[in-house]
Amino acid sequence: MLKPRSIAILALVASILGLTFAAYSTYDYAEHLDRQIHAIHCSFIPGASASDEADNPCKTALFSPYSAIYRASYWGGVPISLFALGAFSFFAGFAAYLLVASERAPRRALLFLGVLGVTPLLASLVMFFISLTRLHTFCRVCVGIYASSALLGAAAVMALMVHARRARGDVDRRVDPRGETEIASAPAGSPLLPVGWAAALGFCAVLPALVYVAALPDYRPFLASCGKLAVATEPHSALLKIPTARAVQPVTLFEDPLCPSCKAFHERLVDEGVFDKLDVTLVMFPLDDEKDCNWMVDRALHPGACLLSRAVLCGGNERARAILEWSFDNQDDLRELGQKNVSALEKKIGERWGKDVVSCAQDRATVIRLQRNLHYAANNHIPVSTPQMFLGDKRICDEDTDLGLKYTLAQLAPEVLK
Amino acid sequence: MPRAIDAVDPPKPPRSPSGGPRGPLPPFVPALVGATVGFVLLVAMTVTVRATVHGAAERLEKPRADDAPAKVAVADDSEEKYCTPSFKQVLQRVLNACGLVGGEARRGCQPADVKTFASISDDDFNALFEPLKERGAVIMFDDASDALDPGAKKLLEERWEDRKGARYFFVVARASKTGTTDLNRALSHKRANSVMFYLGDKFKDPDLDKQVGLLWLGNEFAQLKKDYCQWPTSRDAKACNAEAINRSAFVSWVDCRL
Repeated sequence: MLKPRSIAILALVASILGLTFAAYSTYDYAEHLDRQIHAIHCSFIPGASASDEADNPCKTALFSPYSAIYRASYWGGVPISLFALGAFSFFAGFAAYLLVASERAPRRALLFLGVLGVTPLLASLVMFFISLTRLHTFCRVCVGIYASSALLGAAAVMALMVHARRARGDVDRRVDPRGETEIASAPAGSPLLPVGWAAALGFCAVLPALVYVAALPDYRPFLASCGKLAVATEPHSALLKIPTARAVQPVTLFEDPLCPSCKAFHERLVDEGVFDKLDVTLVMFPLDDEKDCNWMVDRALHPGACLLSRAVLCGGNERARAILEWSFDNQDDLRELGQKNVSALEKKIGERWGKDVVSCAQDRATVIRLQRNLHYAANNHIPVSTPQMFLGDKRICDEDTDLGLKYTLAQLAPEVLK
Repeated sequence: MPRAIDAVDPPKPPRSPSGGPRGPLPPFVPALVGATVGFVLLVAMTVTVRATVHGAAERLEKPRADDAPAKVAVADDSEEKYCTPSFKQVLQRVLNACGLVGGEARRGCQPADVKTFASISDDDFNALFEPLKERGAVIMFDDASDALDPGAKKLLEERWEDRKGARYFFVVARASKTGTTDLNRALSHKRANSVMFYLGDKFKDPDLDKQVGLLWLGNEFAQLKKDYCQWPTSRDAKACNAEAINRSAFVSWVDCRL
């Protein structure tokens, strides 16, 4: 038979666990407010050491547009884990209350836990769905929060069951070994109690977020401090112009089709609904050491990127975006082919985009066109890293291309967020 | 009166740890415990959040030495090993003195200029270009002519298209010893221009003026030795001799940051 004490213990354990995972997630997020790269915790074991691996799924989640709200108003936004911190703190306190009150807890306390104890689970289900369908990866710290929320949800369901039993007057009257009997009819409690608890839950949920926002530094002086595009035009028309639906802001993007950061950056722009409002000039900048390709690199960071960059150029303005996005979507396979078997990479490009694109990518004229893209990068003395974004002629700092992207756009080009 | 044997004793009251009877908790105790636990956790988390954000803000304002971003190379023209300081010094003087940089209306350098700015001997001047054997080519002309033959055009196109990461394309035209100094000076000037005009007509590159450095040396300075017949030339090496190799324009992209 379910008892309030057991339910309280389950809720307390779930809340403490959820609080721990939410604390790690918040800490990792807040560490990045210095605009530097930091290692990120990503383990089911709370306290396990942080990881700085490039394919860390928690990094993917952290840098995704779904990890925070109000990104346009605050640099990095307000991480949603802050609300989890507050909510789990409240539920831990509420579970402690139920544990001590045990059978004397008013029925409305069980009803309250039953109704509002599932809210973290509902939020977790939404985030789980986003991880599944958008991020295609599961951050282990996030999964820890989901599991904690599920435990709390289970406690909530049990609380509802006990509440329903007590409301029917159906209680266990057996005598326990210490001679205590379950109270036949716990008091219902004042109707104002749930209102007060709900208000306390709301206060707890928003307090960490309010403190976080109040402590944020002013990022505006840093935003336009990373240089300008010295040479605005490329005289040979070698660069691509990507047509978009509602272009309102000229940008120049330097991209490598096999660069994971470019892929993540592109997805951020698309997911934020920004890409279609950009008038995009695309400059191919492959970090590959193929002969006669990029003289600025002494080793292939992304083998096969030169060939794919030429394929993107061969797509012309109309098909370039599709070929680039296909390259992003198949980066791991394409990079492996580029490293081991270039002819297999050509075959793969041919299968998807046709032999004319492969022939074009092998053509001397396209080699020269790609070199002109690279000369454009050299003329502008951009850093040899990708992606690079110039908003008009202003260079967006690398530090502002992930967490701070939406805030930076709101400050420097607000029309793209309208 | 004896007790009935089937009577059940009433439940004993709970005992306190000290052995006394344990009464029910005062009604405010559970609420107090719950509020205290919740409050302590909330305050601890909020203070931690505040401290973490504050720490990041401090690092933002005053980055630590180990927070300095890793230095990233900057995109630039290619720079090969043959770009020795002395080579670059001469090339830089060519750029400055021959109208490639600085927006001067005058284009090209004639022998007197080259002698002045190079400030080196003929042999040392030619030695600077020797590492360009794989990159450069010698475009050969008929005697007293500045016309490019098909072989010359083909080789010139190949070399021009083989730009890679270079910024500047040098054309160093000469004339053989036959004829007067003035005649050869003018002839080598025409040969340099022939190369320049052909590139302009063929490729219509809007940046041509910023890329091509012209020098014409007549027969006065830095004549080539017969060894240069072994270089990529636009004509059969068998027809090449000490005279013929100087009826030429040496062309090459130069992979140096200047």
